Amino acid sequence: MIVTRKALNRRTFLRGMGTAIALPFLDSMTPALAAPTKAPVRMAFVYVPNGIDMANWNPAYEGKLGELPRILKPLEPFRQDITLLGNLTHNWGRVLLDGAGDHGRCSASYLTGVHVRKTMVDIKAGVSCDQIVANKIGHQTRFPSLEVGLEDARQAGDCDSGYSCAYTNNLAWRSDTQPLPPVLDPRMMFERLFGSGLALTPEARARQGRYRRSILDFVTGDTKKLQSDLGPTDKRKLDEYLSSIREVERQIARAEKDNAQIDPHMEKPYGVPADFAEHFKLMSDMITIALQADMTRVVTFLVTREGSNRAYRELGISDGHHPLTHHLGKTDLIEKVIQINTYHVQQFAAWMEKLKAIKEGENSLLDNSMIVYGAGLSDGNRHAHEDLPTLIAGRAGNAIKPGRRVVYRKETPMTNLFLTMMDQMGVHQEHFGDSTGRIDSLTSA
Amino acid sequence: MSTAHLILASSLAGLLVAAEPGKKTVAKVGDTAAFDQSVRTVLQKTCAGCHNAQLSSGGINLAPYSNFSSVAEHRGDWEKIVQKIRTGEMPPRGTPGPNQAQIDSLVKVIEGEFERADRGVKPDPGRVTARRLNRNEYSNTIRDLLGVDFRAEKDFPTDDSGHGFDNIGDVLTISPLLMEKYLVAAERIAARAIGADPLPKKPLEFEYHSKDKKIRRPNPSSIEATHRVDFDGEYIIRFGLPGERAADAKPVMMGFWMDGKLLHTKSVETKPSGLVYFNPHSLEEMRLYLPEGDHTFRVGFINDEALKTVDPKDYYSNRKNKFLDSMTFVGPFAANVERASRKKILICDPKTGAACVQRIISTLARRAYRRPVTQNEVASLMKFAAIAKAEGQSVEQGIQLAIQAMLVSPHFLFRIERDPNPTDASNVHKVSDIELASRLSFFLWSSIPDDELLGLAQTGKLRATGVLESQVKRMLADPRSGALADNFAGQWLETRNLDSVKPDPQKFPEWGPDLRDAMKAETRMFFEHFLREDRPLAEFLNARYTFLNDRLAKHYGIEGVNGPEFRRVELTGDQRGGILGHASILTVSSYPTRTSPVIRGKYVLQNLLGAPPPPPPADVPPLDEQAVGSAGSLRQQLEKHRANAICSSCHSKMDALGFGLENYDAIGKWRTTDGKFPVDSSGTLPSGKTFSQPSELREVLNEELPDFGRCLTEKLLTYSLGRGLERYDKRTVDEISKKLAASGYRFQTLIYDIVRSLPFQSRRGEVLQTATAAKPKEVARR
Repeated sequence: MIVTRKALNRRTFLRGMGTAIALPFLDSMTPALAAPTKAPVRMAFVYVPNGIDMANWNPAYEGKLGELPRILKPLEPFRQDITLLGNLTHNWGRVLLDGAGDHGRCSASYLTGVHVRKTMVDIKAGVSCDQIVANKIGHQTRFPSLEVGLEDARQAGDCDSGYSCAYTNNLAWRSDTQPLPPVLDPRMMFERLFGSGLALTPEARARQGRYRRSILDFVTGDTKKLQSDLGPTDKRKLDEYLSSIREVERQIARAEKDNAQIDPHMEKPYGVPADFAEHFKLMSDMITIALQADMTRVVTFLVTREGSNRAYRELGISDGHHPLTHHLGKTDLIEKVIQINTYHVQQFAAWMEKLKAIKEGENSLLDNSMIVYGAGLSDGNRHAHEDLPTLIAGRAGNAIKPGRRVVYRKETPMTNLFLTMMDQMGVHQEHFGDSTGRIDSLTSA
Repeated sequence: MSTAHLILASSLAGLLVAAEPGKKTVAKVGDTAAFDQSVRTVLQKTCAGCHNAQLSSGGINLAPYSNFSSVAEHRGDWEKIVQKIRTGEMPPRGTPGPNQAQIDSLVKVIEGEFERADRGVKPDPGRVTARRLNRNEYSNTIRDLLGVDFRAEKDFPTDDSGHGFDNIGDVLTISPLLMEKYLVAAERIAARAIGADPLPKKPLEFEYHSKDKKIRRPNPSSIEATHRVDFDGEYIIRFGLPGERAADAKPVMMGFWMDGKLLHTKSVETKPSGLVYFNPHSLEEMRLYLPEGDHTFRVGFINDEALKTVDPKDYYSNRKNKFLDSMTFVGPFAANVERASRKKILICDPKTGAACVQRIISTLARRAYRRPVTQNEVASLMKFAAIAKAEGQSVEQGIQLAIQAMLVSPHFLFRIERDPNPTDASNVHKVSDIELASRLSFFLWSSIPDDELLGLAQTGKLRATGVLESQVKRMLADPRSGALADNFAGQWLETRNLDSVKPDPQKFPEWGPDLRDAMKAETRMFFEHFLREDRPLAEFLNARYTFLNDRLAKHYGIEGVNGPEFRRVELTGDQRGGILGHASILTVSSYPTRTSPVIRGKYVLQNLLGAPPPPPPADVPPLDEQAVGSAGSLRQQLEKHRANAICSSCHSKMDALGFGLENYDAIGKWRTTDGKFPVDSSGTLPSGKTFSQPSELREVLNEELPDFGRCLTEKLLTYSLGRGLERYDKRTVDEISKKLAASGYRFQTLIYDIVRSLPFQSRRGEVLQTATAAKPKEVARR
């Protein structure tokens, strides 16, 4: 929300977002990048729920990308920047022996690559691939990873057939029991990245840092004492707390070292915009700044939650998304699903445009990224877990040769892709989830 | 009845004799016979074709489960098997399987054996995992501890939930993000509590104007804006009112609300001012104290009768109407009154020296940690006062820093209970009085114990005869027990979802914040009435009264309710009555565009009768509810669907219940037609009971009171413990439900008996995880 401002600026806004290229080149804030060193590779995952109408996602051809199917149309300007991947499958998202709950299951297995425990309480998934990477390279940036989303969690009632809401509310898992909640409120995101905006003198800011550190020291000591005679589960809860403290301490240290108040050149947002596109834009703008300023290299973006019932009034659609995907083959309902799918891709394309406009030496920020856009279900009507809609935008530096559609052998584990992506981030794992190897023809044309 | 059935009946009788309570129970020959008759034959005939040693479909070989003794030996596996068969998940469609009677007898034999086994087991109180405060508990605690109004739901990430509640220890985790938020919140809260930091020197002005699209219009007489108040303090709020009404227009009352709460009213002239402008316009102004945080502010005319005479196209014409179009906040200014939090915290004058500071800090720490604090703990908190001093800050700022540290401490953020031996599951022990005090206060208040409760616990008097009961009585009478309505009932009845539902504005133009808030208030007050007045549960289902204001009464078509305040209204006629006549419940169990008998039926089964239908088997297409109106009425569609045997077993009950509520549209308004079809709200339950309209459905449900009582017992016990119920809790649920029935289903009985129950009073060490094969090792890829 833009606010008239008559007194001197207490908040960090300098000027409103411009129109053409909203994000200024922030190299003053990124001393590490100012030198002509190789720009880091960034990795992001954008997740959309309830599957996608595959007939309008998959082109009829393989190889070089020609005309894009309807849902992907908004990405036409980026045909040379995307790679479409076919036949990737998440077997662990399937029923196997666990009965109903495909939405809860596929969402939680998407980045973790495990068959999550079916439970309402003692949740157990696995460390997600973004977090494996964040764990290894996260110390180089202010935030090891950022988690964002656009849809508030359901407040009451079931999430999906015997699955705790933790499985659908979160995409990233720091440990097998510790999901990372996405930030939904643009203001919360802004404050996380750029501070509260309350004007502090440099001395006050430094003092705040000292205070925070001594408080964290104090509670760390207390926790260790407290932990000594607890049962294993309680101990684990406090371990999560301790490891979160360590992470915050690291952030504080990092912020002091950078000694830079990053000026995002945007006004601090207030509240959650009712308009979906506006919300998407605000969040993706901030992610862009964070990636550009090398505040993080790993992002997960849960567009809406698996099983989402959001009604897309913006498109004149009053029915909830999820019920629509169980369309029983009715063309008018499928049409609405396609419109929603396309609308999501449209927002994604607007974000790609910004990433592409930001130059990093020879490359664009988009070139230096690999951003997966995908879903944990292909056909939402059938709850199908094979041939998941998957595209990667960007070149991961110059590793990926985009502009193609690659169709893999049927039932190729999605985790093979993630394993390959982790390689590109410099994190080499032998296995991940149910992986059977790396995928070929992504990084070699 | 088949011969098989007769044999079963006699063998079941044997089973019941064998299971007589109090006796050492040993499986008898009859059990084996029943197993062979009702279970083994089904396994052999239906299941063994795929789940055998050779094929092992789905990684399952049922051969080891062909003996009666396996039921006790592999209980977990058997629970899964029974579940698959009962829910119709197995055998897969198209495979010939047992009929319903055969399934019923199989389930009965196996569950009978489970029950027999359970009776031989020592009572188990279970174990609650250490849990952090959730957002509601955090906010309430800050309110009760420091007197600061902080809204954690606006600043902290969402709490995950399980079993429908967000206070389940196992699911509540701490992420680095939340830790960051704790740290920042502690800074702001401590600063606000003490108020020692100076306000910014220059006041700021924030304008929200219709021309910049920064305001919302909930109705033609109101505007609404979300605004962040950065500091506690006084603000001047200005309202722009363009236009004018007729020369004889009366003044109208203008109200100003923050987060749905009326803060201030003011009478406003609407007739022409007499001055000649091109654009008539007036300004109104209020100066009010506003608390820090994100708030939704609304300003509007109350009972704007004159608006009814305005043509809707002229609502925003400044020649024909007077209306609101902007809201401006200017501030902060120092408040003239000392803040309540300071009075609460500064129990002596800290300038008098360290002794007072220490007293302040130790008093706060005891309340924040909800237990006596040690000298060492106080000393380590006092260090923060010293740190601040060394930084050149004031004594008060030192206290502020100590508070900040307390609010991030694990002793504050977590509720941890101790065991003499945390890894010995057989070690059942009572929780300490101090721990019990917190269990009570977090159950009834979603907050910390007050001084009286903590004092009783600390002096060891809490468990003395009658003390616990008198404390519960006192706590229920305290307004803080409203937390049960917000957090328990709000989640149990799903009314929290009213904030996220979005009825189609085309179909339901009357939907808006006024109506939504009124719906919430009705159910909240209804629940609080049960709680405080100890009403019998039967009334919950069929009360002949409810709580309404003018807005909701209008929605219900009830005459004679004037004014925005809520009051008890006796119901005449049979359109409404009991909880299922509440628009809140009818709205949260509908789609944005239309009703869903299936969702409503499921709602009743799951939330009121404790019999949630199993999820639909995989690959069964969901019901074609969308076709309503095009291919016949919804009812016809559903009936077609029920012709399918698999669907019918659950839908026959679900749909019938839902149809009984079809007289209420998707926002709970009474109707007699749905589109072009007349509403038919009759139904027959599988039990054979019939009803022809909502009032009769209420009567039918009333006969299910034991189920309702048990369902509520389970939900409330889950909520009170903060853990999911386990097999061993069945005994507790049985006992409490029995006492509840004996009391005539009085609501408070339930609360007292939960508080007295074994799992609420006791705990045990943790069962150490042994390496169990929880997951199938190899599952063939399709």
